[in-house]
Amino acid sequence: MVFNVGSIRPSNGSEDAVDDASTSDAPEGGASDLAGEGLVLGYPTMEDPVVDGESIVAEPGAVTALVGPNGSGKSTLLKGLAKQLDPDDGSVLVDGRDVHSMGTKELARKLGLLSQESTSPDSITVEDLVYHGRYPHRGFFEHVTEEDQQAVDRAIELAGCEHLRNREVGSLSGGQKQLAWIAMVLAQDTDVLLLDEPTTFLDLHHQLEVMEIIETLRADSDITVVVVLHDIEQAARLADRVVALKDGEIQARGPPEDVVTEELLAEVFRVDAEVVPTDRGPRITPLRPRHEDEDDADAVEAKESTEGEARW
Amino acid sequence: MSSESVKSGRPSERRRSSRFAWLFDPKLLTTAAGSLVVVVLGGLAQVSFGAYSMTFAQAWGAVFDPQVLFNAQAWNAFLLGGELPEMSTESLIVWNIRLPRVLVGIIVGMNLAVSGAIFQAVTRNELASPFILGVSSGAGLMILLTLVVFGGLSAFLPLIAAAGGATAFLIVYAIAWKNGTSPVRLVLAGVIVGTVFNSLQTALFFFADDIGIVQSAIAWTTGSLTGTDWAQVRLVLPWSVVAILLAVVGARQCNVMLLGERTAKSLGMSIEKVRFALSGVAVLAAAASIAVAGIVGFVGLIVPHVVRNLVGSDYKKVIVGCLFVGPALMVGADVGARLALNPVQIPVGIVTGLVGGPYFLYLMRKKQNMGEI
Repeated sequence: MVFNVGSIRPSNGSEDAVDDASTSDAPEGGASDLAGEGLVLGYPTMEDPVVDGESIVAEPGAVTALVGPNGSGKSTLLKGLAKQLDPDDGSVLVDGRDVHSMGTKELARKLGLLSQESTSPDSITVEDLVYHGRYPHRGFFEHVTEEDQQAVDRAIELAGCEHLRNREVGSLSGGQKQLAWIAMVLAQDTDVLLLDEPTTFLDLHHQLEVMEIIETLRADSDITVVVVLHDIEQAARLADRVVALKDGEIQARGPPEDVVTEELLAEVFRVDAEVVPTDRGPRITPLRPRHEDEDDADAVEAKESTEGEARW
Repeated sequence: MSSESVKSGRPSERRRSSRFAWLFDPKLLTTAAGSLVVVVLGGLAQVSFGAYSMTFAQAWGAVFDPQVLFNAQAWNAFLLGGELPEMSTESLIVWNIRLPRVLVGIIVGMNLAVSGAIFQAVTRNELASPFILGVSSGAGLMILLTLVVFGGLSAFLPLIAAAGGATAFLIVYAIAWKNGTSPVRLVLAGVIVGTVFNSLQTALFFFADDIGIVQSAIAWTTGSLTGTDWAQVRLVLPWSVVAILLAVVGARQCNVMLLGERTAKSLGMSIEKVRFALSGVAVLAAAASIAVAGIVGFVGLIVPHVVRNLVGSDYKKVIVGCLFVGPALMVGADVGARLALNPVQIPVGIVTGLVGGPYFLYLMRKKQNMGEI
């Protein structure tokens, strides 16, 4: 099954061009890039900005993971990129265009966001929820088109909730709900997809389902994905690039093998852990939390005395 | 969405049906049919009983009197205020006195129900009513001001009341605005405006020197269909048609708003514009009803609840359901208002209130999900 982005383009008379259908294996060089430049983001209730002048570029067509401890600003940064939060300074560019210069529906066709927690009426069916994902593609009076139907069918299949199609969202488990919401965002058919902690509240099975969906997106389409994850191992396994934040500042960015190191875990996450490279990506074994009053030397000593192993 | 949908091998077949397929949902159709029965029976009761006694057969005959029904001059008189042609006494009484009251009841019922449904979606609060955002306080204050202080303007009372309601809504929006609004801010601003205006309104009651004025004021602020005739139909019909059409068209936007602001925004909805537009439509419908019937409580609160319990929370179906259940409640209540204490007529708002309380009691005892959004 191939999720083909190139063949679905809006044809609703807007300024977006109508592309020809592309072949399934070679998407046209149209992977979108998403860049935040000098972003200063904060909340009205807080004096100081959470993110102060950070720049981030999401590699086109690839999966970028944002990781960091609680309060590091990763969700804030994602919301800033998604235009959910207006930056005090700096700009967000999608394909070189400032998102604030784009109309809301135009932006929604390019950039989709899956929030951390989503609400819906209990009695709406999964299918109806996924159809809402087509909102940016439909004019005010437009009926559901063939294109909408195909996008919805494709999204439901990719999200693996075909068997839930006619169930009411209120009757689903947390994991199933998340799959339904993912299907909705996929039906939106965007070039860029932002996911805010999609696996945080899910059981292991559904966490792996979600990871599989992201992997399929990476393999079969050129959607640019930025995902905030708590589980660093998941991030390392899944992503092409990892960006680590702490206290609103980007501490490291690059491929997982370069970024996910024992030093990073110690400094940014304040965790002593063992990182072992394997075929499926780095394997992280957490050992102990770092305490406030420790410094690096103490921690290294404590660690080497228990393992005596050569470091990676 | 369409309830005839079952897991089929070709899922896309289902949607390719007409754009009005959702209208044929059995639950919606049953609700509409039941409401129609109530309206017809209520209407029949209204036209048959009264000071001039006539049998059911006479009354029914008068309603379907071909001399009136197909008489262009008669319709010209009704809808455009022209001269009434000659007709039998029964027809005159039914068509000129009793029937227009039923029609006003139907239109007001539709307006209030739809208005309440929209406000419940916009504020994401299932206890919202058409009057939640200051409309009733503004109208009430203007009604009292006109009756007690500016007696000379009484002839313009409907328009003044409606304008007062609309202005109060704008004040509420202005108070709630801070780079945009949110459901909570709107409701709070509504409370602020409500308490201030209601206090002023109550104060004005003290200065009314004539019991007649007080009763008139109470009738207006409680809602009454007494004395409504074709003039009121003419007044309310154009605004209602506009408001109801816009509401039906805007139902899909309500559905998306119910997904929460964050999701609606990420789907590309211009939240502030849509919220203001939807609120504007709801205020238009509410103000139009106030102009002819005063501030009828509970209809806008109960009917969307009932409809959601019957047809689910897809707002396209909810709005259409409200178009049927609203008149049913209104006409039913008006029968009680007019005939319960014959020959004294009580304001219909009293009856809707007496119905409203027990209905919520029933809901609380019976149901788990109380018409939740």
